[in-house]
Amino acid sequence: MDNRKYNIYFNTHTVSGIIICAILYVMFFAGSFTFFKDDITAWQKNDSQLAHKGAVKKDFNYLIDSLGKKHKLIGRDFDFTIQRNHSGVYVAMSASHDSTNKKKKDGEGGGFGERGGRGEGRRGGRGEGRGEGRGAVAAASDTAGRRGFRGGRAGKPDSNATMIAASATRGDKGKAEMSGGGDKKDGEKGEKKERKGRGRRGDGDNAYFTYDFAKHQEADYTTGYTMGEFLYRLHFLAQVNQVLPFRIGVPFGYLLAGIVSFIFLFALITGLLLHWDKLVSNFFTFRPWNKWKNVWTEAHTVLGVIGFPYQLVFAITGIILIFNSFLIVPYTQLFYKGNQEKIYKDLGYGVKSEFKYTYKPLQAKANVDSLVAIVENKWQRSDVSTVAIRNYGDANMHVVVIGKPQTTAQMNGQGEWIYRVRDNRVISERSPLADAGYLATFKGMIYHLHFGDFGGRPLKVIYFVLGILGCVVINSGVMIWLVARDKKSIPEGKRKFNFWTANIYLGSSLSMLPVLGVTMIALLFLEKPGQPEIYHWFFYSWLALGIYFVALRNLERVNRQSMFLSAVICLALPIFDGLVRSNWFWVTYAQGAFDILFIDVLFLILGVISAAIYWKISQRKIAPAAKTSASAPRRKAQQLEEAATA
Amino acid sequence: MPANKKYLTKSGWTKLSKILVGVIGGYLVSLSFHAALTRFFPLENVMITSFVTAYVLWATLLLFAFLIKKAWQTWALYTVLVVVFSGIYMLPIG
Repeated sequence: MDNRKYNIYFNTHTVSGIIICAILYVMFFAGSFTFFKDDITAWQKNDSQLAHKGAVKKDFNYLIDSLGKKHKLIGRDFDFTIQRNHSGVYVAMSASHDSTNKKKKDGEGGGFGERGGRGEGRRGGRGEGRGEGRGAVAAASDTAGRRGFRGGRAGKPDSNATMIAASATRGDKGKAEMSGGGDKKDGEKGEKKERKGRGRRGDGDNAYFTYDFAKHQEADYTTGYTMGEFLYRLHFLAQVNQVLPFRIGVPFGYLLAGIVSFIFLFALITGLLLHWDKLVSNFFTFRPWNKWKNVWTEAHTVLGVIGFPYQLVFAITGIILIFNSFLIVPYTQLFYKGNQEKIYKDLGYGVKSEFKYTYKPLQAKANVDSLVAIVENKWQRSDVSTVAIRNYGDANMHVVVIGKPQTTAQMNGQGEWIYRVRDNRVISERSPLADAGYLATFKGMIYHLHFGDFGGRPLKVIYFVLGILGCVVINSGVMIWLVARDKKSIPEGKRKFNFWTANIYLGSSLSMLPVLGVTMIALLFLEKPGQPEIYHWFFYSWLALGIYFVALRNLERVNRQSMFLSAVICLALPIFDGLVRSNWFWVTYAQGAFDILFIDVLFLILGVISAAIYWKISQRKIAPAAKTSASAPRRKAQQLEEAATA
Repeated sequence: MPANKKYLTKSGWTKLSKILVGVIGGYLVSLSFHAALTRFFPLENVMITSFVTAYVLWATLLLFAFLIKKAWQTWALYTVLVVVFSGIYMLPIG
């Protein structure tokens, strides 16, 4: 490699890395814990999903009946997208196709439909707010591509449709939806605009919400908000969406997350090229007892090489899942003349077939539950992911069931079963275990690789470890950057700037683990903690500890103290869980509540590792001073280096 | 040791120009390239594949903009590429 190229790779790698380090660290840290989102939720609610698995009955008939009490259902389309943990379902109910159908007046008192706008309005006022309000639920369904997705990203990672669909956050029409937050007035205005914007027939009282099968009611977002949900949303910076006081047409946090992912991709490519020539020899070089600069460099290179495929996967799938607008928007304009509905259908979201509305009432009656049961029985080793109804109550009413194979049976695939109610006929059927085809396979790989959901818990643990190693790579990268510039030849002002950059970065990143532990312990003592409590505990303690660390102005002490705090807090977490809720390891083990047990064990291990690191760096601090053989200037240099780096 | 400045762009304006051509030009080249591909492969397949390849190509072109010595050469090269790919995309045949 010639010198010029090498130095260009070096420079672009350094600059791009430094720009994104802090945000990328947050994304990696929160994202790693997100692999255990369901476990964290179970832990917080003290309600193990594993202990009583399969107890929840998916009662669609009841759900449709209760919708019918608030709305006239005839002529509507429904999409029920089942959450991955099977405890709830995202409901998207369209307006009626029947243009003669009048809106049922008495339905406005706060039923499902109205909540679609108002309920989320409440949420909007809470904080998640703009750009997420309506979208949060709407985007979750497969219909999202057609309707609500512009509002933002869905509340759950589970629904595949959510991801690409929701990331296309764009368009003027979307603004009406994005303003769905606030108060009722706002919501109504939004709805009116929507209707106009879409030119849909019938009344515009469509509804989007999450329904809880166990409780037989609409799931309340803020009280159902958990630490798992918080970390999940933090990893794509959802909370940052509200930071800007003005609107830029897209959720700012998602845009930022997308840009950071892209720069991360760039940094990965330049990093790989930079180390290409010495890739093999560097991989086998790790001298942890060498000079600090070498330790950082070698840790960065070795861990970077080990984690490279993993990080590359996340850089790419990350952009796709959070901000695919970069591509979706031009594609929609170029290939589909602005028809978003069509592009999402072509990309395999939701029900592709169209069903004509006939204006003739249906004589037969559909029992959705038994239809789903038939399909579930038919499709072994698969899960039903979506149940859709088209033209409810019309002679041309259809029920469509979509299913996906369990990853133990087959990685990718999409089954579809279309049933016509009128003559009790199955129109078409494709098994989830049939050959998936290129599109579904490619799309499936994007999701599976990002969620790590194809190898059970062991794979998730590996993903978690690789994610945390990603944090270490970022940290060591910043340290290389700082140490390389901590020289006499560099002007004082620049060195100060460099130090403060590293100081703030380390202060905010190293405080994350103790803050996470403190927040989770605090949740044990709070009565029904919801979104505001989690926000307050996490962000305020993060701010406080971050400021304290920055004020220390001593990287070595920041490192030591953060390790000390992490060790104490992480070890305290399972103990508190035992004291407060009697969730001792052996108790949860005996109950089969392995998700709760897992979180306790996870923090126990994190605590032990932190303690070990703390012990090591404390030892190391003493060691150089004990060395009398080292010449005075060298010792001085060593101390300086340590002070600046550790 | 930081990168050797001898090999890096010195002028701030040239730097800016390179970044702009890398980001905007790279994006347009990547987009038009995949648009051109739709003439040879099924649209859906090109789109889903591009979710990966378009970003990688874009990032690579961004880097490439720094490797080319003169910024105007990159502007010229990327413009030509966009014109060629768009031309293929808009070809009146089949």
